[in-house]
Amino acid sequence: MIDKRSYDSIEIPDNLNGVVRGAIAEGMARRRRKRIVNLVRSAGSIAAVFSLCVITALNLSPSFASAACEIPVVGDLCRVFLFREYHVEDEMKYVDARIPQIEGTGKTGLEDRVNQEIQKVMRDCLAAGEERAKDYYDAFVETGGDPEDFNPVSIMIDYETRYVSPAYLSFVVTQYESRFSAYSGSLYYNLDLDSGRIITLKDWFGPDYRRIVSESIEATIAGWSEEQRSLLWEDLSVMDLISENTNFYLNQDGQIVVVFEKYEAACGAAGELEFTIQPPES
Amino acid sequence: MEAAQELALLIETNQEKYYKVAFSYVKNREDALDIVHNGIVKALESFHTLRNPAYAKTWFYRILINESISFLRKTGKVIPLEDLQAPQRPPAGDSTGVHKDEYIDLYAAIDRLPPDLKTIVILRFFEDMKYEEIAEITSVNLNTVKSRLRRALERLKLDVEVLEDD
Repeated sequence: MIDKRSYDSIEIPDNLNGVVRGAIAEGMARRRRKRIVNLVRSAGSIAAVFSLCVITALNLSPSFASAACEIPVVGDLCRVFLFREYHVEDEMKYVDARIPQIEGTGKTGLEDRVNQEIQKVMRDCLAAGEERAKDYYDAFVETGGDPEDFNPVSIMIDYETRYVSPAYLSFVVTQYESRFSAYSGSLYYNLDLDSGRIITLKDWFGPDYRRIVSESIEATIAGWSEEQRSLLWEDLSVMDLISENTNFYLNQDGQIVVVFEKYEAACGAAGELEFTIQPPES
Repeated sequence: MEAAQELALLIETNQEKYYKVAFSYVKNREDALDIVHNGIVKALESFHTLRNPAYAKTWFYRILINESISFLRKTGKVIPLEDLQAPQRPPAGDSTGVHKDEYIDLYAAIDRLPPDLKTIVILRFFEDMKYEEIAEITSVNLNTVKSRLRRALERLKLDVEVLEDD
């Protein structure tokens, strides 16, 4: 009989998932762009031809360009999100970013602050990613690689809205880089639209938030199987991981979900861990 | 769920299989990762060309295998000797009584096959696919799949008895 053990035991690289997710993001982004172009083409009017030029120009330009707006309509907030698209492609890298911008919340101070922060973080992410792509390219060429054969590093930035209501807005910005899965990461933003503030766990649960959140997480862990628990770090102290900077988002039911990054609370195989926090019984 | 997202989910779920298939051709981690990456981007980008989403599974294998074979063609089909001499060994401490050389040889042996025969051996024996699926992936008819498989096994001097019907 055919013995397939040596095939089955081909070692899976740690960054496979990062590469796969990056590729999916890249494929989806290319698809989206193609679809817009196809849509414009099928319209076939002069105006359509004109917008096709505009789209092409946006894609070629290495500067930021405002793109269409995304409209989660809730209550009287008609336009919360506008995104900017950024695309650049050369022999070293393939960058595709959709960067959110908030608008129409009626809180210009908050908008400016958040938008500026997002822009800054994204600029830093992109600059660091481009730097890594360049290093990789240089190393490839220096060691005798043919620049023609270099497979550009892809850098993807995208976002997802998690919760929108007239009172709160919660969204996450994600970054993937092919080849460098260690550099993929997520940034969480939760905004209180009434007060115009970025909310933290402390704002939500009060001064006793560390105890409330860690007790809820520990209760969830207690319900896990032995196997799941064995992935957690042995000396894990949940409370130590809870601070005003802890990542979290609001899920579609408006509940707080705390997120621990890969390696933060458990070994890499466990990936990112998410815990829905149950409010204390009162 | 949008059909393209279903494909993305299918890919993410089966990523280890795809990596292994790519690895069996190129025998190199970075190249296999590149092939998987390029295959995924191509598949999603040209997803609209797939008429029936029910064929997404076999269609993606076809893209992956084409990527692997064209990679080998581009790089001149040369697999560095040191890579061949260091096949992936099964985990240590595996004491099932089978002599180690037997299975290491089998896995390494497929490198002696031309790409079209190699593809069929990988899909049939390592990925456990049905003849029909292999025929779809490789765009040849059922009888060609069977005869290629027979040819591959003869070349490897393996007993043709392992050829079972589905």
